[in-house]
Amino acid sequence: MTDLLQYEMNRETAWCPGCGNFSIRRALVKALAELDLSPEQVTLFTGIGQAAKMPHYIRVNAFNGLHGRALPAALGMRIANPDMKVIVESGDGDTYGEGGNHLLHNIRRNPDISHLVHNNQIYGLTKGQASPTSEYVLKTAVQPGGVKSDPFNPVLFAVAMKASFVARASVTEEEHLKEMIKAAINHKGYALIDILQPCVTFNRINTYQWYSERVYKLEEDYNPADWTAALKKAAEWGERIPIGIIYKEEKATFREKIGHLKESKILAGKRVEPAEREYLLDEFR
Amino acid sequence: MEKRLMKGNEAIAEAAIRAGCRYFFGYPITPQNEIPEYMALHLPQYGGVFLQAESEVSAINMVYGAAGAGARVMTSSSSPGISLKMEGISYIAAAELPCVIVNMMRGGPGLGGIQPSQADYFQAVKGGGHGDYHMTVLAPASVQEAFDLTMEAFEIADYYRNPVMILGDGVIGQMMEGVVLREPVKLEELKEKEWATDGAVNREPNIINSLFLDAVKLEEHNLKLKAKYDLMREREARAELYKMDDAEYAVVAYGTSARISRSAVDEARKKGIRVGLIRPVSLFPFPEKIIRSTIAKTRTYLVVEMSLGQMIEDLKLALNGKRPVCFYGRTGGILPLVDEILESIELMRRGEGIEADCCLS
Repeated sequence: MTDLLQYEMNRETAWCPGCGNFSIRRALVKALAELDLSPEQVTLFTGIGQAAKMPHYIRVNAFNGLHGRALPAALGMRIANPDMKVIVESGDGDTYGEGGNHLLHNIRRNPDISHLVHNNQIYGLTKGQASPTSEYVLKTAVQPGGVKSDPFNPVLFAVAMKASFVARASVTEEEHLKEMIKAAINHKGYALIDILQPCVTFNRINTYQWYSERVYKLEEDYNPADWTAALKKAAEWGERIPIGIIYKEEKATFREKIGHLKESKILAGKRVEPAEREYLLDEFR
Repeated sequence: MEKRLMKGNEAIAEAAIRAGCRYFFGYPITPQNEIPEYMALHLPQYGGVFLQAESEVSAINMVYGAAGAGARVMTSSSSPGISLKMEGISYIAAAELPCVIVNMMRGGPGLGGIQPSQADYFQAVKGGGHGDYHMTVLAPASVQEAFDLTMEAFEIADYYRNPVMILGDGVIGQMMEGVVLREPVKLEELKEKEWATDGAVNREPNIINSLFLDAVKLEEHNLKLKAKYDLMREREARAELYKMDDAEYAVVAYGTSARISRSAVDEARKKGIRVGLIRPVSLFPFPEKIIRSTIAKTRTYLVVEMSLGQMIEDLKLALNGKRPVCFYGRTGGILPLVDEILESIELMRRGEGIEADCCLS
């Protein structure tokens, strides 16, 4: 196991005390350590939002991109570099709102990317507006009469599209969350984890208590390869919310589908021996 | 008339409602969230709709649709969000639809920061999206002016059938000042929009379009747009001249940097420097004629911007090499201070700090 301190950066964050992001960071660090992935083997891609600040607070390679568009940037690296572990972290507004279209098309492509969505059912960075996953009852400064659109169920959406790995986790079950992250990283293909997470400042409805009272781990005999069962499970939301791997299917990854990429040598992995560049020094001799 | 203490963002939202805007489409971004908040709270009372879109791209296209339907409609954002709207703005300008877009600028490029900035000047006045077009761009320097210009923006937009941008920054949006509220327009008295796609009864259908595959037709369309911009240049250019009557030196600044420059001008006057302030209020059209009218008395111009120098290019074009130009700018969200501008005024008087490329003749 890799030393946890390797991933440590400045402990100071812009997150509120009690924010669910801290649990996700802790779980991610433990998952990376238990998988023996050292910081240089991992690149974290994010968009914009509170979740998207993660690369600033954890020591791995980091790419802080555009709002909603961490996935296309991550795909860019995935295509150019087959060895790097590529992880995307983003929020519900970022992923399901601004970046909804990118989500859809990355499920279709199935690149080898682990996608951790911090779903707190609200926009935290801009101080509390409804997000695509907010429920009707949520009232905010810009939704004073409550939300007027149906909440988006990302798990149902991803299962319906037969994404190769679809899971739900909750920060109220941190050990389970860590296991989900490990499973996603180990999965070959696009792996989406929708992580339920309270926003302690702006979302007064979906609190720690709200989630802990509702989430339950999938039954031992649940079979994530059964798509019909997965659809039913994915649709479950409200009084009882299932967490775990809802759907899993082995599929060719995007790189595998482009035959010649398998053989390609890339600059990213190229090692240059100092002796090979000795001639550059000749002119100074 | 009613007077209220308001934030700049709130004043803009209230002005829009009083101008007859009933539809607002937005997406959260700092530092303009008070505009959507105000609209969300108040528009329903007037039978209007506030809608938080899934993205800025979606919001500007909702504006496109509502404008095409003949409604007075607005969106607001801040720099990175405005960049996303640019595609839609190009189409709206091409399809000749009126709407109002508010940009409360923050530091860039990229994600930048959330502090006030004026670094989107080029994007605002030169078109911003693709193709030969301009928005009309108005730059308030006070909360009162933010209110007044927003009300007027809807009239200008309808008259020219062109998108109008209110270009402010975090300071204009967030600061509170007293505002005298003008009476609301009467919706039933607004001129009918014969071009709107409001249901063709006893007439040919109206078509909202920006596609002209025939190059000859497209050139004709571009020339028609240009004629509108020329008319704007003639009629809509405006600037405030402050202590310019006897000014040997002039500071040229707009919006927040103009407010700070005004204090620097007052300080310089106390030191006996005959300096005034030219404050462009319309950035497109740029008030070239007004600026040229000061050449007879004014020897040197100092541009102050919260950017690394963007409006300075339009000033140089207006002066056409006839007078030297100096520059002082802070960027990234830093405000220029009165003392710093005063120092630049003193440098200018000593003939120092002249931009190398400004004297062509």
